[in-house]
Amino acid sequence: MQHLDEGTIHSWLDNALNPDEAARVEAHVAECPECAAAVAEARGFVAASSRILTALDDAPRGVVPAAAPIRRGSRAMLRAAATVLVVAAGSLVVFRNGGRETQRVTNASLSAMKTVAPVASMNVDSTTATPEAAAAGIPTEANSSRRTAISSQQRNNASVEKRAAKTATADAVTATDQAFTPSRIADAAVMAAVPGALSLKVVETPRRPGETVTVYEVPPGDTVTLTELIVARENPPAVVPLGRQSAGQTAGMSTKARADAAVASGSGYSGAVGSVTAPAPAVSAPASAPQAGFANPVRTIKWTDGTTGNTMMLSGRKSEAQLQEIRRRIEHERAAGAARKKP
Amino acid sequence: MTDVERLFRTYNAALVRYLTRRLGDRDWAEEVAQETFVRALRQTSIENERAWLFAVATNLVRDEARKDIRRRKHLALLAEQERDTVVEPEETTLERAQEAAMARKAVDALAERDRLALLMREEGLDYNEIAEALQLSPGSVGTTLSRARRRLVESYEGLQKGREERENNAAS
Repeated sequence: MQHLDEGTIHSWLDNALNPDEAARVEAHVAECPECAAAVAEARGFVAASSRILTALDDAPRGVVPAAAPIRRGSRAMLRAAATVLVVAAGSLVVFRNGGRETQRVTNASLSAMKTVAPVASMNVDSTTATPEAAAAGIPTEANSSRRTAISSQQRNNASVEKRAAKTATADAVTATDQAFTPSRIADAAVMAAVPGALSLKVVETPRRPGETVTVYEVPPGDTVTLTELIVARENPPAVVPLGRQSAGQTAGMSTKARADAAVASGSGYSGAVGSVTAPAPAVSAPASAPQAGFANPVRTIKWTDGTTGNTMMLSGRKSEAQLQEIRRRIEHERAAGAARKKP
Repeated sequence: MTDVERLFRTYNAALVRYLTRRLGDRDWAEEVAQETFVRALRQTSIENERAWLFAVATNLVRDEARKDIRRRKHLALLAEQERDTVVEPEETTLERAQEAAMARKAVDALAERDRLALLMREEGLDYNEIAEALQLSPGSVGTTLSRARRRLVESYEGLQKGREERENNAAS
C-alpha cells in the first residue's frame, strides 16, 4: 500500500472508511513511520480545530443589526393552557416574554390569531418567521410553535425582533389586545389539543348537477363544504400539491359557498384577513400586507383527487391550514371507507 | 406528515450551534434555525432528516447573505472591529474574548465549503450526510475536512503568534 493521503487519514479518523479499507489503513500505519507521523499530525489538527470552534459558541447576540425600525405594541397576554400559537396562512409566530413587552405578529397569521378571552398572563417569546409555513396540519404546527415559545421564553430578545424586522418576509404589525378575539384560537386549541378530535359529521348532501357536494360539520359550530366536480377529462388535470392553493377564489365555488362568502364579507368579527398568498420559493418573498378590516371570509382550497382525477374543492370559514387539515381527515376517512368496502 | 416537534427536540440545539458558529450571532442563528423548522412543516416526509435540516439551514444563510451581501459584510466588519476593541460582557474574561475573536477570524478565513463541512462534522454529521447537505461527492468529504482543519489550525496559530508578539513588543 502506498503512503496515505490526508483525505484518507481524516476519513479513517472520522470512521468514514468501510471495514476493509480501515483495516488496510491500520495495517499500513503500523509498519510505516512516515504515515504514522502523518496520522499523529492529523489527530492534532482534528483536536485543535474542534477546540478552536468551541470558542465560537459564546457568540454575542444582535451583532448584525437590523435595518428597519422596530414597532412596538402593547403587551399581548395569551392563555397558557390554550394553544399558544396558531399557525394560519403559513405564519409561525412565537410570543415571548423577557423584560420587553414587545410583541409582533406577521400579517396573514395575525388575522387568524385571537386570544382566548379572558386572557391569562403568559408572555411568550416573539419572533417572526416566513409567513409561508404552509399547511401541514394545525396540531403539529401549534405544538412545535409552543415548544419554540417555551424553550426561548427565558431569553431577552430585542435583537431577534430587529432581525425579524429586517427580514423581508415579515411585515411587522403592531397589535393590540382588541385585535385578538377568542374564537379562532379556540378553534385551533381544540384542533391542536386533541388530535383527531376533528369530527367529520355530514350535515347534508345537496344535489347539484355535475357535482357531489357534502357539507361537514366542524367544531365548534362551523361547516365546510366539499365539492367534487365530476367532469370527464381527456387530459388528467395537473396534480396540485398541498399548500399551493390561493384562497378566496370564488369562481367555481358552489352556490352555497358563494352565499357564505357574501355573508362573510359583511361579518364583523375579528379574524382572518382576506386572501392567503401562495407560497413562493425563496425565503425573501414578502407576504401580502393588508391589515385593515377583520372580515372572516370563506376560503377555498382546491386539489385533484388522486383516484378519480376529479377536481375537489373545500370551502369554509377556516384558515388554509385548517382546510388542509380537514382535507386530510376527509381523505383519510374516504380511504378507510373504501378499504372497508373491499371484499 | 413530518413530526416537527420531534425534529425540533432532536436537532435544534445542534442546528443553532452550527449556525452560531457560522454566523457569529446567536440571535440570527436562532432565527434561521426557526425558519428551517418552519420549512420542515411543509414536508410530508423527510428521508435523511439531519442532512436535510442542515442543508436547508445552510441555504437559508446563503440566500440571505446573497440578498444583501455588501451591507452585511460591512456591518459584520464593523461588528468585528467593535468586538475586538470593546470588552466583552462580565462573564467573559479578556482571554476568552480574545480567543473568540481569533477563532472568528480563523473560521472566516476558510473557504465557505470547507467551513460548512467542518462545522457540520462538529455537529456529528457523517460523511454521507455532509455530502448530501453540501452536494459533494462522499469521496471528497475527507479531503475537504482535512484541508479545513489544517487551515483553521494554522490560521489560528498564526493569529495567536501575532498577538503574542504584539504583547511582547508592548511589554519590552
